[in-house]
Amino acid sequence: MTHVNSSQPAMQNQRRSPLYRRHTELKAEFESLGDASLVSRYGELAAEIESAAQLGLADLSALPRIGFKGAGAPQWAISQGIKLPESPNHSVVQDDGALVGKLSHQELLILSDLAGSSALVNSLEPVQIESLKQSEPAAQTYHLPRAHSHSCLAVTGTAAAEMFSKVCGVDLRSHKFAQGQIAQTSLAKINAVIVRHDLAETPCFYVLSDISTVEFLWDCLLDAMQEYAGVPVGVAALRSLAARG
Amino acid sequence: MKLLTCPLNGPRNISEFTYGGEYHPMPDPNKTDPRQWAEHVFFHDNEAGIVTEWWCHSASSFWFLAERNTITDQVIRTFEASELFNQRVDFAAESGDNS
Amino acid sequence: MKNRLPAPYGQLIDREQQIDFSFEKKSYSGFAGDSIASALAANDQWLLSRSFKYHRPRGALTMAGQDANTLVQLPSNPNALADRETISQDLAVMAQNYSGSLNHDRGALLGLFSRFLPVGFYYKAFFKPRGIWEKWAPLIRKKAGLGVIDQQLEPEYYDKQYKFYDVVVVGAGPTGMQAALTAAVDGCEVLLVDENPSLGGSLNYARFDAEGTVASETKERLIATIKANKNISCMTNSLVNGWFGDNWLPIISGKRLYKVRAKQTILCTGALEQQAVFHNNDLPGVMMSSAAQRLMHLYAVRPGKASVIVTGNNDGYANALDLMDAGVEVKAIVDLRDQPPETSLTKAAKLRGIQIKLGYAVYAAKKKGNHLSAVEIRKISAHGLCEHQYQTIACDLLCMAIGYTPTYQLACQAGGQLSYDDQSSMFTLKNLPDGLQVAGSVNSYWELSNCLEEGARAARAATHALGFTQGDAEQPIPRENQSPNHSWPIFSHPKGKEFVDFDEDLTIADIINATSDGYEHIQLVKRYSTCGMGPSQGRHSALAAARLVAAATNRTVAETGVTTARPPFAPEHLGHSAGRSFYPARRSNMHYRHLEAGAEMLQAGAWYRPAFYGRSEERDQCINNEVNNVRNNVGLVDVSTLGGLEVRGPDAGEFLNRIYTFGFVKQPLGKARYALLTNEAGVVIDDGVACRFAEDHYYVTATTGGVDRVYQSMLKWNAQWRLDVDIANVTSAYCGVNIAGPKARQVLSKVCDAIDLSNEAFPYMAVRQAEVAGIQARLIRVGFVGELGYEVHVPQQYGEALWDALMAAGKEDNIQPFGIEAQRVLRLEKGHIIIGQDTDAMSNPTEVQMGWAVSRNKPFFVGGRTISELENKTINRSLVGFVVHDPKAPIPKESHLVLDGQQMSGRVTSCNYSPTLGKAIGLAYVEPSKAAPGSQISIKSTAGVLVSAEVVALPFYDPQAARQEL
Repeated sequence: MTHVNSSQPAMQNQRRSPLYRRHTELKAEFESLGDASLVSRYGELAAEIESAAQLGLADLSALPRIGFKGAGAPQWAISQGIKLPESPNHSVVQDDGALVGKLSHQELLILSDLAGSSALVNSLEPVQIESLKQSEPAAQTYHLPRAHSHSCLAVTGTAAAEMFSKVCGVDLRSHKFAQGQIAQTSLAKINAVIVRHDLAETPCFYVLSDISTVEFLWDCLLDAMQEYAGVPVGVAALRSLAARG
Repeated sequence: MKLLTCPLNGPRNISEFTYGGEYHPMPDPNKTDPRQWAEHVFFHDNEAGIVTEWWCHSASSFWFLAERNTITDQVIRTFEASELFNQRVDFAAESGDNS
Repeated sequence: MKNRLPAPYGQLIDREQQIDFSFEKKSYSGFAGDSIASALAANDQWLLSRSFKYHRPRGALTMAGQDANTLVQLPSNPNALADRETISQDLAVMAQNYSGSLNHDRGALLGLFSRFLPVGFYYKAFFKPRGIWEKWAPLIRKKAGLGVIDQQLEPEYYDKQYKFYDVVVVGAGPTGMQAALTAAVDGCEVLLVDENPSLGGSLNYARFDAEGTVASETKERLIATIKANKNISCMTNSLVNGWFGDNWLPIISGKRLYKVRAKQTILCTGALEQQAVFHNNDLPGVMMSSAAQRLMHLYAVRPGKASVIVTGNNDGYANALDLMDAGVEVKAIVDLRDQPPETSLTKAAKLRGIQIKLGYAVYAAKKKGNHLSAVEIRKISAHGLCEHQYQTIACDLLCMAIGYTPTYQLACQAGGQLSYDDQSSMFTLKNLPDGLQVAGSVNSYWELSNCLEEGARAARAATHALGFTQGDAEQPIPRENQSPNHSWPIFSHPKGKEFVDFDEDLTIADIINATSDGYEHIQLVKRYSTCGMGPSQGRHSALAAARLVAAATNRTVAETGVTTARPPFAPEHLGHSAGRSFYPARRSNMHYRHLEAGAEMLQAGAWYRPAFYGRSEERDQCINNEVNNVRNNVGLVDVSTLGGLEVRGPDAGEFLNRIYTFGFVKQPLGKARYALLTNEAGVVIDDGVACRFAEDHYYVTATTGGVDRVYQSMLKWNAQWRLDVDIANVTSAYCGVNIAGPKARQVLSKVCDAIDLSNEAFPYMAVRQAEVAGIQARLIRVGFVGELGYEVHVPQQYGEALWDALMAAGKEDNIQPFGIEAQRVLRLEKGHIIIGQDTDAMSNPTEVQMGWAVSRNKPFFVGGRTISELENKTINRSLVGFVVHDPKAPIPKESHLVLDGQQMSGRVTSCNYSPTLGKAIGLAYVEPSKAAPGSQISIKSTAGVLVSAEVVALPFYDPQAARQEL
């Protein structure tokens, strides 16, 4: 992981978020992360932090994430030193900052920290099907390519839950949807996994949805956010908010 | 809009679910006579009363069963499929080589 | 504004802000907060519109937006309610439904001919001869009028939002306010919603005591406590427009539709005052007593100079006191009752010296110009009948206070049953679902103290149910002795015009005649007479109509019942339903490369796909070029939309064996097999290829439109079988291309040197995993388009990089992208079917010549039993290939009929001009006797031209399959 700020077009990397053209149009400043690019910021950082605290939308699709599924997956994860939430639709923060959620009794979702430096996710990322195959303790454990099947957006800020109520039928207000809770639901008529993972005191929701729909979702969310002065924000603002705690 | 309680995800708007038809045990396909097989495939009981139905929560692709009163449209309970299906189903090989 | 009353009258208006507007192109002034109707009334303009059928003059009736008398035309909004719509600076308001001028409507002559417009007129007159309605409709529609839509209107931004509450209280009158307060115990989130601009309901305008102080005191106390309670949210100017399952409430507020989920709903919707039915009861100047009170208290408008009140309850007396206080002369209270019980209100009225006529009725109203000028009163001699002597009282205002119907619509939408006690004239609502309470006057409680207690009772029932409070089940409050509803405020007149339904201009005789014509059921009366079908949906006609039908058919009102109440409660703008709808779009990672290459995109399901590359007007040429380039050179097509399923685990092969028709257990590693999916009825529903990467790992493709369904059905089957297998839908995780054409290998080899691409090492229907352009990829040698070809699947975010790498690698060989139109032609030349296009809901494998893809050696697969039954029967159609030899013949299209003489014997499923063969080719269902190659078929093509075609063996192109196995 390198934090080389670069304004070079994201397309020089092999791996490209479907949203990179939108980011480029917004004059985003990118940072490289492996062979992908992450939007660091769109404008002046201090203002962007304040925007993110009110209502921000960030594209974190370039950050690592991975999934495991199967009857043996929870057992296998524990053998790898992963802390699991007790019940499905909840998540737990790991020591290295990664977030591990249970989508069902047999399905795990692992998200990297905001730096993309989570040792756990990075150690799992190259794990291919072969290495899990049959071998104890990985029997009945199957890898899911979440980094590619799903885009990852983050909606941040105090107005986030209110904004979500324009596109989502699940009550995401703080007192009804606790830190770490997960909702698998319909967002603007597409299926999504919503994870509440606050940035210190700032409410934050990760939104994972089918990557082919992410441009549609991005536009829908920005439209719904307008009313609350919500804007796209880069990962730098999110990191600052997370560090405020 | 009705609510339906998914055993995995809790109560949700029914628009989040896909209906999977009435639960209907399959007769042994290799032994049943043609008429009974045709009834299984093409006819539904469509009972007025409490029926068991398949429902799938679309966002999580989670299949479960619901007992619903078709007269009042009240859902009496929902439960995981493992409650009805708790062991592996196998089909006896009539002949052949499992190609 | 000659009719304005001084402050403190006029709670809703701001006298500091004058607003100028126009009505019928004449200028008027009002105050901010005025409704159109109140501002006009303040200027002594009472006539607002003309009625629907007879063009009778109409004015304010309820002042509450509950009647159709006040429908006016606004520039961008037809049929606006003048008593609900507020005025704004320079607003141009026009009346509706008149020809000539509002004051002198030529159409009013229709009233003279009303005997030629009998009940059931539309039904009778235009039923026969057939087609006559089409001739009359334009004329009648023009005459019937209603508003005009501005077709140049720029659509405004409407949207939707979800809300979640523990308790929603509908109606913020005294009952609703008390209910909200009682419900707002610790932690219980309450929404109090009202369609009016302020909280308070009847406390804003009604009088509950002789002194006239109780209402405002109660209101101020309740509002202050509500405002101080953080658990209560209030929405005013917000209409709960329906009740749907599990307390799902659509609330319209401004340009937003709120979809509110309540755990408990309390309906405190109040009651709607009803009109008395007598001759000319529809004249401007005749209004509900509550309308007069609303005019005075809400808008500071004096409703008239000299008034008469016809009543059957206390409220008429209260109104008389209000009118006197406001300086309106009260000429008489005409009480339908012989001996009304004495109350503080009746005493006060007597004390003030008001003339009270007991046992009298208003028998007729008289007009001068377009307004009430006098009423004729008569002593009631018997039920609905009067003596001959009469007395005329000059007045310009008649207030009607003869009773109410509960605002039962939402409760009935929830399954509640409205019943009516003919003795006590009381309504009750029964059979309400769990989680729904009714309280207050909708529940037939009228005393203010009872209403407050009712609100508290309902709220406690709700909080008990939610677990916020504990306690015994709430006991109902004892019923009141006196109903405000008079049992028969209906007086027929020899000259008719006693209106039961103002919207549709229906009189007593119309309702009686409907029953005489044989329509005795209240639902049939409604449909035959149109009673209750107008904009106010029977709010003021349902009870009177039920009473008349009951009397005419010798039943009780309870037996007659009322018609079904369905959502919406009030008309809503289309924008509220249409606003901010979501139409998900899916894009491949290569989407913008297609656009840059000039692709014309089409949407297949949610997916955007390139149809062809080039200008629309050169479509055919573009497609032909793309086809030729694949046949002769090399082409690249985006197949990212193709479904992808990972099937993994020890039972993966067994699972596929059960799902698909072929055998997969013995499929060699590194090989792909065609996979045909049938349902239990043996119908072909999807296809793809199953690639075996490991003993326990198959990667199965599915059709773009079918994969979600296939995935769900796989999960459902394995929820029952419980095989040791995992199924994952990875459709979006992979982007893919098919690089196809004789030069495909040489292009691919430039970016893929990790594996041997030679035909020997990587033969047809083999699969490999290798890096392509540095990207980890899955390669499948397929032959869908009938040439040497490789599908290359890479993780989604590498799609664009892969596309770029292959386009660059193929530059020297003139690689060209091709779209799905060219792909369709190519596969058709190869005789490959597309599921869903060449198959339908009845197609079994034998019919579509796919018997070869069905294994007979398996103990079970989903469609197996049915297919084996079908194979014992003769098929009645076959899917065959055909060629049109005549180059001048029009090319048949999909769904054109195959004819046998005059008989339809089949249909075309695919047909295109084949640039490779130089003629039109296609697939069609034909009767089995025509299925043999060489048979001649006849196709009814465009414009009915019969086209001859010859059945040929499939495929059309490269029958030895030499090309794809290069």
